[in-house]
Amino acid sequence: MKLSELKAGDRAEITSVGAETTIRRRLMDMGLIRGTEFEVLRFAPLGDPIEIGYKGLLLTMRMNEAEGITVRKLPVEDRHQHVESARSRVRFFRRG
Amino acid sequence: MADPVKQIRVALTGNPNAGKSSLFNVLTGSHQRVGNFPGVTIEKLEGYLDYQGVRITVVDLPGTYSLTPYSPEEIVTRRYIIDEKPDVVVNVLDGTNLERNLLLTAQLMEMEVELLVALNMIDEVEEKGISIDTDQLEKLLGAHIVPTSARRRQGLDELLDHIVSMCDGQIEVIKNKMTFSPVIENAMEKIVALLGQQRELGSTNHRWLAVKLLESDREVYTQVRQYPVWVKVELVLQEAITECQRLHRTDPEALITEDRFAFVRGAMQECVRLPRATRASLSDYIDTVVLNRVLGLPVFFVVVWAIFQLTFTLGAPIMAGLQFLFELLARSVAPLLPNAMLRSIVVDGVIVGVGSVVVYLPNIVLLFIGLSFLEASGYMARAAFVIDKVMHRFGLHGKSFIPMVTGFGCSIPAIMATRTLKSRSDRLATIMTIPFMSCGAKLPVYVLLAGAFFPPAMAANVMFGIYLLGIVVGLWTAWMLKSTVLKSDSEPFVMELPPYRWPTLASVVFQARMKALMYLKKAGTLILMAVMAIWAASNFPRSSRLDEALVLEKARIEASATSPEVKAGELRQLNSKVQAAQLEYSLAGRSGKIIEPLIRPLGFDWRIGISLVTGVVSKEVVVSTLGTIFSIGRSDQGAAGLSSILRNDPGFGRATALSLMVFVLLYIPCVATLGVMKKEVGSWRPVLLYTGYVLAIAWGASFITYRLALLMQ
Repeated sequence: MKLSELKAGDRAEITSVGAETTIRRRLMDMGLIRGTEFEVLRFAPLGDPIEIGYKGLLLTMRMNEAEGITVRKLPVEDRHQHVESARSRVRFFRRG
Repeated sequence: MADPVKQIRVALTGNPNAGKSSLFNVLTGSHQRVGNFPGVTIEKLEGYLDYQGVRITVVDLPGTYSLTPYSPEEIVTRRYIIDEKPDVVVNVLDGTNLERNLLLTAQLMEMEVELLVALNMIDEVEEKGISIDTDQLEKLLGAHIVPTSARRRQGLDELLDHIVSMCDGQIEVIKNKMTFSPVIENAMEKIVALLGQQRELGSTNHRWLAVKLLESDREVYTQVRQYPVWVKVELVLQEAITECQRLHRTDPEALITEDRFAFVRGAMQECVRLPRATRASLSDYIDTVVLNRVLGLPVFFVVVWAIFQLTFTLGAPIMAGLQFLFELLARSVAPLLPNAMLRSIVVDGVIVGVGSVVVYLPNIVLLFIGLSFLEASGYMARAAFVIDKVMHRFGLHGKSFIPMVTGFGCSIPAIMATRTLKSRSDRLATIMTIPFMSCGAKLPVYVLLAGAFFPPAMAANVMFGIYLLGIVVGLWTAWMLKSTVLKSDSEPFVMELPPYRWPTLASVVFQARMKALMYLKKAGTLILMAVMAIWAASNFPRSSRLDEALVLEKARIEASATSPEVKAGELRQLNSKVQAAQLEYSLAGRSGKIIEPLIRPLGFDWRIGISLVTGVVSKEVVVSTLGTIFSIGRSDQGAAGLSSILRNDPGFGRATALSLMVFVLLYIPCVATLGVMKKEVGSWRPVLLYTGYVLAIAWGASFITYRLALLMQ
């Protein structure tokens, strides 16, 4: 499904970034690449643009741009799994 | 102190909001210079400092997330690094947000520059409990890392020590290469070999060119395409695309970006430990209120209102004070100059001219204090997020809103405020919209005319209608520009919302000072010259016959046997009559007559024509010229008197008044605005085209208004 079809509070993973060259490149450089997991935080009061959060970053984009991004919606319980696995990874790489 | 013999050039790079500019400020202090990068209107900040006998020149490159050829900031940064070859490139990282910041670092590594990393905001890193293994990160990045905090002035000497010793060759940095997926590396190897055969391409950094070719970088494409080796290179590129698709189900460009992020992720896992607790930050709490579905818009409007009040309500007394000072100066200088001509040049020309430049300063300074506060605190991006939908409808960007609203106060600071817009076409469209937002100087014209020809209750409606018309024409102009000449490269709305930060006083003051200086230096001279030119046009040529008649008449009045009061009254009347006649005789007066056939269909005679010509200095001058030309001395009656004179004038009626208000709203922006516009747009051509456009619009709208008003009477 498309990123633009998600609702506030949904979590999803990016499967591909389409869109026109300039925008596509911009999105990818902001870390929106295959496999990036994010949460839809909110829509602007007038319904457009959309704000998503991932890796400590808050990113906004217009719905036009969000339409070019295909995502796989993650089930709600996946969220805890994701956080847990990230934590164990952090522990694993803990040094000193 | 002896002149430093050794010179070092350092370029600062980094993401927006990484604290790059703060670092630049604390390093260079007051030794700064603002220029532009060649060919673009991106500010180039350059400063210097002397450290241990070395003159270190620091260039603050624009904040970027990446080094693509798609945004002017990124192109400027790339070109500077490649063409100017700075001795050291300092990559400023936001230590609290390393994962995103390191993407740019990875790209700088590819460029094989003399890289030094400033791990900035180290104070916040410690507060948040993030631990970073800098030794290991240094190895991975192949660059030395110096922890800094620009806010607390930490680590600055260490940074400078590193810069100096890097240039002395005292520090041996073992560079680390970015490695990509095998498909990419294979193709790169082939391309590097091919590029080596083409002598014209030089011997430097073929690896970087190869990466860029695989990324379909249009700048590098055009560079390489002109050589015969391109034929072979293209084959390799084709092959890489096919292979990428077969093995990774994607294109080389995406794969390269993924590889960079994989590198960054690896570095993060190896070197960075984030705190366990991931509780919602204060920033998140603020956003749940500020970006709330219900509260978002009200909060936004309150903020915009506050900025407007700060700039214009707070600015008004300061402006009045400045005006008073200049009047005082004029009054005290005038008696010192016995020669009438010289007096006029100094008082009406120079003092008024300089005054009209300086008078905008309080607004500019206050607006930029407000704007840099919004920008540095992180709200500016949120404001754009909230209002973007509306602005986008007219082809504009969410960030266009605040400059546009500021235009209701004064176009000059408003146009300067469009610098927050990154894309040139968005900026141009916004700049061309601003003069239609009815500014403070047009208000006296409306007050005079609406007050003279309409009952008070109607007058308010008329003025409201005029403001509304300005907004409609402005937005229509933006929409039309964006769907025709400025159709290309609109800035994609992909914008980061930075965490809220309390701005430092130093950075806010710095921004305001910078804008004030830029205005005085760049636009000031232009405005001064234009004001003086119009002064000259309204004073020359002078009729000597009139001067002689004046002397004779004066003598006659003096000699007559009436009371002193009557004499004084007659003299005053005589003076204003001659003043009006001289104005009529001058160049401005004649041009008023020349344009009369053109403005006749709008209901204007030559007298209104003259005030439109002089009104180009500043719109409120229309009122004072109407006062002079309709033959009342400035000293007596005042505006109330003028309105009754206009009402009783056969050449003036409701239709003419309405038509004139519309014309003043829409026609040529004042010279100060044109000067700032030229400065911000970069050349005269668009400004002149725009002037033609507004004249046509003004003529058309006034014509329709006049005819409709006549019909309804």
